[in-house]
Amino acid sequence: MLEPHLLFVKGIEVEREGNPILRGISMQVKPGEICGVLGRNGAGKSSLAYAVMGLPQYMPKAGRIWFDGQDITEWGVTERAKAGVTLAWQHPARYEGITVRDYLRLSNPSADENALESALELVQMEPFYLDRLVDKGLSGGERKRIELSSIYLMKPRLAILDEPDSGVDLLALGEVMGLFKILASGGSSVLIITHREDVAGACDRAYLMCAGKMILEGSAEAVKRYFLSQCEPCLELEPVKVGEVAASHA
Amino acid sequence: MHDVTEEYKTLVSIAERTGGQEGAFASEDAIYVVVHGNHILASHALPGVVIEASETEDGVDAKITVKAGVKVPKPVHLCFGHLAASGKQVIKSRIFIEEKASAEFQAHCIFPNAIEFLHAMEGEIHLGPFSSFSYREVHVHGPEGRIDVRPVSRVRIDEGAIYRGDFTLVEGRVGNLAIDIDVDAFGRKSRVEVTSKVYGKYDDFCQVRDIVKLNGPESSALIKARVVLKDRSQGKFLGLVDGAAPGARGHVDCTEVVQGEAKAVASPVVQASHPEAEVTHEAAIGRIADDKIQGLMAKGLTTDEAIDFVVSGLLR
Repeated sequence: MLEPHLLFVKGIEVEREGNPILRGISMQVKPGEICGVLGRNGAGKSSLAYAVMGLPQYMPKAGRIWFDGQDITEWGVTERAKAGVTLAWQHPARYEGITVRDYLRLSNPSADENALESALELVQMEPFYLDRLVDKGLSGGERKRIELSSIYLMKPRLAILDEPDSGVDLLALGEVMGLFKILASGGSSVLIITHREDVAGACDRAYLMCAGKMILEGSAEAVKRYFLSQCEPCLELEPVKVGEVAASHA
Repeated sequence: MHDVTEEYKTLVSIAERTGGQEGAFASEDAIYVVVHGNHILASHALPGVVIEASETEDGVDAKITVKAGVKVPKPVHLCFGHLAASGKQVIKSRIFIEEKASAEFQAHCIFPNAIEFLHAMEGEIHLGPFSSFSYREVHVHGPEGRIDVRPVSRVRIDEGAIYRGDFTLVEGRVGNLAIDIDVDAFGRKSRVEVTSKVYGKYDDFCQVRDIVKLNGPESSALIKARVVLKDRSQGKFLGLVDGAAPGARGHVDCTEVVQGEAKAVASPVVQASHPEAEVTHEAAIGRIADDKIQGLMAKGLTTDEAIDFVVSGLLR
């Protein structure tokens, strides 16, 4: 019997300005799981997140993407978001004149003041932030944590978190990683894009990406060990069979 | 028969929804004027504030005086509008803020059904020594049709007085808009802030001309424009500060955002007629970055909803 999957990506190929950046990527995310995609800078992890979110610049020229059994390959960003896919960006955009309160309410218009404050508290932010503007006045880490709060309020079916730790100080990192489990326990599947093995270690399962290819899939622990022991800066790797756990490293 | 009550109710309800407070036109301690076309539907003043208004062929002619030393605690609401599809309304106003007086005026210009309409506001504003005056003009137009909007203000500012002007047209179609503000800050240490916020759509044309002459020693000015244009709309901004006295300081700040096939021209002009004046400027014309729009689309907004959300912040 086939395992159920919420997200199923099969053989997608994406090019930017004529250069291949995703090369035959296949992967799955199961309902309620926390799945990681680990890899060095430039491996193509964020490109994969953008392709799954449906950004026009990252439309696959080959391969398909299914979400909850529906082929969403041709769907736009809004349609995918309405179906339950969302993305917390590595560098969230800033919005002049928009308060944190207004921004968070986009994710959940019925959220009352208590709900907004609770969402901020999850990422160690005080209620006064609700009146701050989502503009250049916030640091990168503050902006990042607000983005994660908004994802929590949205309660998506699939939350893609692109480098959720970037810019976040060590004291808040524990809360951010705890949020993965809170999202999953609330019914969301979580796909974490990261270059940090400790963040990947908080996942149920993980993939390893390199040079636009998925080179390994397995338990988070196994993928993390392989990454630490084998990965070094490289431009090209021969593909390793997808779906095989690196048992020899376990 | 002309239903004056209905006109009053409609204008006031829109005014209260778009910047006026609820009950702003009804309470005993409020100062207000409500004009439909060339009919003065309601007017209420309080001691220290004198309103002399008369109906003209095309609109009204009003003189409002805030007497010396009077501090008006609540905003004075001026509601001008017309519910017809076509026509003309010309409001001539002379506002005198006497020495050490202070007041905040909020003008609501409401044309929800206008298709072919001319709305002209010709204002003269005089600020006495050490007075303070804020004038905010909010326009509400319907989603269709064209309306010619001609707000023209000539402002004179005496010693130590502060003038703040804020023009906002963000709801409904702009049509043809030509803001023309000319300020003479002749008083020592007088201060000027002029802000224009406009959201043009379809084939709207928006022109903003803000001129401030800093003739008073140590006078200062900030001209700020936020113009968002989408579809095939066009915008033209001219902001000029002339530092014509010792110690005068001025700044022009213009941001125009264009989407679709919209076109924008920005001309921030700074002039130092006096060698001890300091005037600076900044201007930017750009599109709303993709990451801003896509970030909002990932939360379920359509492209247009995302643009409107970004614009609502820019024009706030």
